[in-house]
Amino acid sequence: MRDAALAATSGGQILVSEAAPPSIPGPGVAEPPSRSPETREPQGADTPASTVAPMRVVGQPVAHHDFIEKVKGSILYAADWELPGMLYGRVVRATMSSARIVSIHTEKARALRGVATVLTGEDVPSNQLVEPSAGGVGELLVAMPILARDRVRYAGEPIALVAAETQQIADDAAELVQVEYEELPGVFDPGAALLPSAPLVHDDGNVLTSWHIQRGDVQAALAAADVVIEGEYRTQHAEHASLEPEAGVGWIENDVVTLRVSTQIIEHATQIAEILKLPVNKVRVIAAYMGGSFGGKEGMTVEPYLALLVWRTRRPVRMIWSRQESILASTKGHPFIMRYRTGATNEGRIVAQDVDLIGDAGAYPYKSARVMFYAAALSCGPYFTPNVSVRSRAVFTNNVPTSAFRGFGARQVTFGYESQMDRIAETLAMDKADVRRRNFLRKGDVIPTGETLDTAVAVGETLERALARLEEPSAPSGPSKRVGRGFACNMQPYGRTIWFPDSASAWLSIQADGTLLIRSGVADVGGGQAASLCQIASEILGVSLERISVYIGDTALTPPAGGTFATRVLYMSGNAIMQAALKLRGLVAPVAAEALGCPVAEVVFEDGRVKAEGKSASGGAPEEGISLGELVRLCEARSIDPTTLYVFHPDAKRRGFDTETGQGASFPDYSYGTHAAEVEVDLETGEVEVLKYATCHDVGRAINPLRVEGQMQGGAMQGLGYALMEEIILDEGKIASSLLADYLVPTSDDMPDVMADIVESGEGKGPMNARGIGEAVIGNAAPTIANAVTDAIGFRPTQLPITPERVLALLDAADGTSASGSVSSVPGASCQ
Amino acid sequence: MTAMFESGVDKAMPMPSAPGALEDTHARVVLDDWERRWYGEPRFKYELVRSYEEAVFALREHGEGAKALAGGQSLVPLMNLRVLRPSALIDLNGIVAIAPQVEGGRLSLSAMTRYSQVLLSELVRCQTPLLTAAIAYVGNVRVRNRGTIGGALAHGQATSELAAVALALGGEILAYGPTGTRLIDAEEFFVGHLKTDLRPEEVVTGLRLEVAQSRQGSSFTELARRSGAEAIAGVAANVTLSPERDVIGGVRLGLIGVDERPVAGDRTILSSLLGRIPTPTEIDDVAAEVTARTAPVTDSQSTASYRRRLVRVLIRRALTEALQRAEERASAE
Amino acid sequence: MSLQQVTLQVNGVAHEISVAPDALLLDVLHDQLGFRDVRYGCGEGVCGTCTVLLDGEAVSSCLVYAVQVEFREITTLAGLLGEDESLHPLQETFLRLGGTQCGFCTPGVILTAYGLAQRMPRPTREEIRYELGGSLCRCTGYTKILDAVESYLENRAFASEEARS
Repeated sequence: MRDAALAATSGGQILVSEAAPPSIPGPGVAEPPSRSPETREPQGADTPASTVAPMRVVGQPVAHHDFIEKVKGSILYAADWELPGMLYGRVVRATMSSARIVSIHTEKARALRGVATVLTGEDVPSNQLVEPSAGGVGELLVAMPILARDRVRYAGEPIALVAAETQQIADDAAELVQVEYEELPGVFDPGAALLPSAPLVHDDGNVLTSWHIQRGDVQAALAAADVVIEGEYRTQHAEHASLEPEAGVGWIENDVVTLRVSTQIIEHATQIAEILKLPVNKVRVIAAYMGGSFGGKEGMTVEPYLALLVWRTRRPVRMIWSRQESILASTKGHPFIMRYRTGATNEGRIVAQDVDLIGDAGAYPYKSARVMFYAAALSCGPYFTPNVSVRSRAVFTNNVPTSAFRGFGARQVTFGYESQMDRIAETLAMDKADVRRRNFLRKGDVIPTGETLDTAVAVGETLERALARLEEPSAPSGPSKRVGRGFACNMQPYGRTIWFPDSASAWLSIQADGTLLIRSGVADVGGGQAASLCQIASEILGVSLERISVYIGDTALTPPAGGTFATRVLYMSGNAIMQAALKLRGLVAPVAAEALGCPVAEVVFEDGRVKAEGKSASGGAPEEGISLGELVRLCEARSIDPTTLYVFHPDAKRRGFDTETGQGASFPDYSYGTHAAEVEVDLETGEVEVLKYATCHDVGRAINPLRVEGQMQGGAMQGLGYALMEEIILDEGKIASSLLADYLVPTSDDMPDVMADIVESGEGKGPMNARGIGEAVIGNAAPTIANAVTDAIGFRPTQLPITPERVLALLDAADGTSASGSVSSVPGASCQ
Repeated sequence: MTAMFESGVDKAMPMPSAPGALEDTHARVVLDDWERRWYGEPRFKYELVRSYEEAVFALREHGEGAKALAGGQSLVPLMNLRVLRPSALIDLNGIVAIAPQVEGGRLSLSAMTRYSQVLLSELVRCQTPLLTAAIAYVGNVRVRNRGTIGGALAHGQATSELAAVALALGGEILAYGPTGTRLIDAEEFFVGHLKTDLRPEEVVTGLRLEVAQSRQGSSFTELARRSGAEAIAGVAANVTLSPERDVIGGVRLGLIGVDERPVAGDRTILSSLLGRIPTPTEIDDVAAEVTARTAPVTDSQSTASYRRRLVRVLIRRALTEALQRAEERASAE
Repeated sequence: MSLQQVTLQVNGVAHEISVAPDALLLDVLHDQLGFRDVRYGCGEGVCGTCTVLLDGEAVSSCLVYAVQVEFREITTLAGLLGEDESLHPLQETFLRLGGTQCGFCTPGVILTAYGLAQRMPRPTREEIRYELGGSLCRCTGYTKILDAVESYLENRAFASEEARS
């Protein structure tokens, strides 16, 4: 029974739907959890995903809710809001990367007609933000000023705020603010920042945090290994470049500072209240539907500045960051320096990984400590690694601060470990896919943090399907061209680090006419976070999507959902709405049963009505049952309120975490996937053209396959930008160009169609066994391209982006031997 | 939607008792009585002109801070970024562009012709296929819909595809100013970084290009880091075979991204190709020598050394393809 | 007074307003006239977010001053809607085939595709790709956008064939 299947899939536990055949995760399940490398059988294509039971709405590629408004153009983003008497704000930013502020003069700015206020650090009641981002697990606590007063630590750091009657006047006034600096020595490279003689970005030192993972005996294992591959890989600063810039409107309503902003986390209301020294009930944050964020709006962006200007002027204020301001000063994705030493047997089995990771945290912590933790935990990828040593450090510099960016550290290390895997294959003259298969993790395996994987690992199937999509190799289009193929497998957590108690609430109500109302504090970044809640509720309560309304992201009016980050929304809020709907159904079903004269177990919710399933007492057709509206009336007559609030707490074992050994709890679960590509390299210009690109990810169950494919294609494209063309160039902390014209993100004319295949293993901790997908889809791209380029030209790019210049430099450096040992000479053959 | 600004004025801000009652040195505020909005002083004076004569007159009148506005695709971004702050904008969009036409062996393009019109013109495609090929690389569809031939030439960007074509096809730029019309050779026109030979009160009124001959072949190629992005380097090549024999009778190159301005490939070096059909090696040698005469720069998009390597390859490829096309056309006669 | 009285024709309706000469069409449309589907993305003409159709041709509204386009036909995304706010077939395929995620690029993308479809009866996927090359999207990876445009063109061709027969 479909309904029974639904009832069985309760979030937090992995249950297989009764209606579906049990999943067959692979030969690993029956074996003991820890196995020596030699006894592992390669995991190949004979590990089929379970077939998941078809549902009415869930699993359908429906397009609804905010997407309708988006194609109509009627949706209102954060800056599409207007209030009477609204002022326009502008942030005044530092032009030096490391300096003492000698003086700030605002008189000329204030005197400009039409300027309502000019604020500096002394006008901020509590001018600091301290982010103990790693949960107080060993990182430096550093205070970040809202408006810098004495010291500037990065070019672009906010120093003053202006609000004026028009944007133009505000911008004129911003130019009239005069800042006198005394330049101080700065440090702009994390390696240099680690030296004892380095200028200090913060008084307590330049290392924000250092994570360690130790498992087994890496030195002994490396010494005994048949081959040891050493590699150093570098990635660049990445800019989110969401089409919607950071923006919002603030106002005071009933003495409450109210902000309607483009933000991933409305819970920042607490920090805003602290900054203003207001009680938290005097601050309200509303998350407008966002025009993308990708982690760039995970920290506060406009919020503190809007709040200050609103609070000071008592008038509504709008702030939209200019694109150039956003590129210059918004937080970026971390550039990494990764050093890998990988030991393997002659049969291609990994015996040890010794990894050193350095992330440039920029001038302030933001989420750097957590990013480097993700990087450490995921540094070995989806491979069984018995001996592990990882050191992962976040290092301050006077560069632009870095923070969350889709993938969150796990993105960067994919480039590291997947380059290493290909090199192992090259060194041993083995098939590259075979090497993966021999090492893939399996359900029941222990990962570097000492945890045991408790859901299916279908990465093998994603590999087979992605490779199959490439079909016949293309012939080079000219004598100076080479075609190559590459792929990369990855592993990405979904759900928050489980040291933090996490929860998500959803409120659900059946209205008098049988329509549904959902309230949930989620922020919708554009990936259907809100719509998915409706789809799940629709499935369980049998109400059509047009008859469901969802209200999101409002600290005053929606129950807290915890923020949109860490790919946690489907997992947390999806489970919350599912449980809320099941609970609500359970609440009203007995009333329906009584009205229909059948057992509760036979009550079915369908098409906005409640029916007795298969009731054929008189042998006639099943009755039409009663409408949900009628049911609501019956409930009210019995004083039953057709409303639920459900707070979902994941059923995660919350063990401790040993910071010395890195053993303990990390993440609730993971998504696995593979990308594969065919590229053509022009040996004379270094240009890399992507000819074919395929993606395949296991999502447990696809709540909405249209949106899942969209995530895969979008993530791949963003990853391709990062692989080939996106670069923030900093010189002594100053950006070479903050123009969007110079920050090159891929266009429709640059890349081929992205093929997207979904695997549904049927095991996930989200609702109905779904897994989160939002971040899993970006990390594979860069190593896929690097591996394909290597296949084409025989030399390995180890630095991103893989620009034509860098390709030519690789070819130039050639002296007949490749950097990575043996090279397959037939393009494409190594991928079979 | 009706105006939604009910009271744009905060009680705390004093209202002027009469227009002009408040004097200040920075911004004169205009309070529109009907809509009750605030306005700062407009950044520039705006004048729409309907002829080149009017344009020149207006430029003169408004003085040094005045700028001519054509497509706006280069100028307005700089103004939005507050990098350029003209005191007056003379809008040339009131001038009606004449359709492309051919006379006396030359294609005549009016300055206000949009890139998109060029791209869609069958006449241009037949008479100067090199131009059609090059314009396809310009910006994106919006840039092409507004950007004009005259505006692009006047802007004089080092990576202008149009400039490369003008240099390869013996382009003549028509300029009009207080002293009348002037004809400027393309090779004399681009003098420095975003600097042309135009005098302060002159405007470009047209461009004339040699039309394709029967024994001629052309090729345009460029490399950009992404579709629509500024070219790292590019080449427009035009090769003509001699009237009687199948040997090269004339060859011209327009180069972009190799200097602070668009430049022609060195004629002396190119002349070594005359009178023969060069081998691939010979073409490459010439490409190398032409490249050696250029002075590419390093900027946020690329390095001088990469540009140098790239342009040699592009010259070789463009020359090879142009020669091949010339030979094909000649044999088709 | 340095304001100018202009008449802007937007989605078939004439608006008589006062504008400053330095007011960008983008700001006049979004802030002054309340056309929220025309939004700021970059101010450089690069991203395509602010695209409107000017007499049927795609232009960046952040690079045009309102005073320049008096009496020209300006079309925003909302202008494609039918009488009763019904979706234009192109909007419908975008919705159904997943051509929109965060939606911020959507007005520019759909208008540009619409402009192309008005100009050419049956552009190929490559031609669509080229035309949309100036409309940046960070969410979809473009594949479903192209699917949506092609689907619209196919339905349109089918419908006109049917109409003829």
